[in-house]
Amino acid sequence: MPSTGDQKIDDAADVRNYFLKLLEQDRDLSSGIAAIKTLLMILEKKQFDTIHILHTTMRDAVAAMRNTDLSIAAVVSGGELFCRFITLSLDDKHMEECRQIMLHRGKIFLTKLLNSRNVIAQQAKKFVNDGCRVLTHSRSRVVLKALISAAKNKEFHVYVTQGGPDNSGAQMVSDLEKAGISSTLILDSATGYVMESVDFVMVGAEAVVESGGIINRIGTFTMGLCAREMKKPFYVLAESFKFTRLYPLNQRDLPDEYKYSRKHLVDVSKVHPQVDYTPPAYITLLFTDLGILTPSAVSDELIKLYM
Amino acid sequence: MKGHPTKEVTQLIHEIKIGNVEGSYNITAKTLQVFKKIINGQRWTNADELMNLVRTQGHILQSAIPQETVTANIARRILKLIREEFDLLKAKVHQFTDDQASMSLHKLVTQTSNDVSVDYTEPQQGLREALLDHLQEMETELETSSENICAQAEEHIHSSEVILTLGHSRSVENFLKRAVKKRQFLTIIIAECAPDCRGHNLAASLATGNVEIIVIPDSAIFAMMSRVNKVIIGTHSVLANGGLRAACGSYTVALAAKHYSVPVIVLSPMYKLSPLHLCSIEQDAFNLVGCAEDVIEYDSLASHSAKVYSPIFDYVPPELVTLFISNIGGHAPSYVYRLLTELYNPEDYEM
Repeated sequence: MPSTGDQKIDDAADVRNYFLKLLEQDRDLSSGIAAIKTLLMILEKKQFDTIHILHTTMRDAVAAMRNTDLSIAAVVSGGELFCRFITLSLDDKHMEECRQIMLHRGKIFLTKLLNSRNVIAQQAKKFVNDGCRVLTHSRSRVVLKALISAAKNKEFHVYVTQGGPDNSGAQMVSDLEKAGISSTLILDSATGYVMESVDFVMVGAEAVVESGGIINRIGTFTMGLCAREMKKPFYVLAESFKFTRLYPLNQRDLPDEYKYSRKHLVDVSKVHPQVDYTPPAYITLLFTDLGILTPSAVSDELIKLYM
Repeated sequence: MKGHPTKEVTQLIHEIKIGNVEGSYNITAKTLQVFKKIINGQRWTNADELMNLVRTQGHILQSAIPQETVTANIARRILKLIREEFDLLKAKVHQFTDDQASMSLHKLVTQTSNDVSVDYTEPQQGLREALLDHLQEMETELETSSENICAQAEEHIHSSEVILTLGHSRSVENFLKRAVKKRQFLTIIIAECAPDCRGHNLAASLATGNVEIIVIPDSAIFAMMSRVNKVIIGTHSVLANGGLRAACGSYTVALAAKHYSVPVIVLSPMYKLSPLHLCSIEQDAFNLVGCAEDVIEYDSLASHSAKVYSPIFDYVPPELVTLFISNIGGHAPSYVYRLLTELYNPEDYEM
């Protein structure tokens, strides 16, 4: 049926536009949160006759959002978490009643997630000591927040890698300087050089996978390897909506849509991956809004949810 | 948190400070008694008041003697007990208490209302009695913990093995005594653990005809390690990541064991598990320095110009530990987080 097909494409475009507009309005918004906000909007605006329709609509919306040029890791995990949470609320109530409950829950869920960065910053700031030197990779909003909240009563120095290909490390340095934190921008290739002079590494993550490892901007794995070799603690800061049901075994095992932008997916032999996978063995601790976790505790959390 | 210590708490702090009460077991037992008195004797009308009382006293104990983490651990366990008892008395289904126990991804998703905190101010009949019953259970658990650890000695130590230990831990002493009784031709190497040299006491206590005891200086640990089958040590406390705060010298032992791939077994009853992380080596309250005179005499010539330190503890990272043996069985260091969520409520991690 061509008519329903067209309808679907229109919907997809709407969803995508709404999603992108959210991200444009607030530069500090994580794509995962934007995805959840979009799904919540759909839940509010649309009428559903059955749970099945609701499910397909949600799945289509997530697919539409995956179809952007942004990194999709957080969109996938956020969307999946939201869909999971919808199925958990299934009762033998009337559909409309169900929808109201879901909406209510969704909003609470969202407020909690919006607070997660603060929670993480509070935990992580205790690990930043006076006079220490921190190495971080490119720009991460949660790392920035943690460092700023630690800087209220401590002085320390931050080394920031440029974070190619889009060099958002420069933005990180100017953000840090604005907050009065002394920082140095270094080349991605200087990771090994500065490692001996830092006290610990603190990075963000695009996704936390089932093994307790992370998927993050390319170069994170290199940093993890260097940190392990020089016996420096490697801390990861990540909100819990980034927990993903994925178990990569190595770099090649990562799905292509995580690694390459959409326009390159046709032929990936000549392009550079945008993310890499850091196995749990290289991670000392993960700071999440669920508490300070060891990598082995991550799978526990995921099992509890998806059992 | 503001508040004044009760008479018992002041007394306990004093006794620990002057060394009248020493050893983790004794401190734990005494702390438990103090809290029992507080629950029994103090005036409180509801669970909330009692929890505040326990929290305040726990906080006072922790800030007065930060190196003894067991006191705060007991307070945390009692707090969890109060929550559980309160929920049970409110005739909640058991699953609900489970949900309350920890912040999880599952809870994040399923929670229905913003305000999930239970109102602990509601007075409950019979709370005091129920709590005292449970404290009695805890006391029994404490008393039998050493025995329960010893009972596992046979599983880990076999005939003709060479065991290395460090200093003098009471758990290790009992563990090895049990092994000596059951197994033949054991060789036990004891690093003396200078400057206190408490290893000598352990050697004296273990010396029977049945076992070969070798006492070595700490400097010979690495040299001896190549012939060792197992390292068995005690610890002062276990940290949240599975790392140890153990007697100074333990790190040396663990590293040497790693070099020769010798398994390191750590004996630690459950009350030594602390939900704390090591933020940095210089963290307050992580280490203590002992009397410098043991290292070098005050009237010696060198002491005029040299700085002398005698640290008490070592941090041993979790990757150097093979197995923890507690009173409820053996666990890998990566499993410690799980035990902690069972023992304490995450809200009480910060006292």
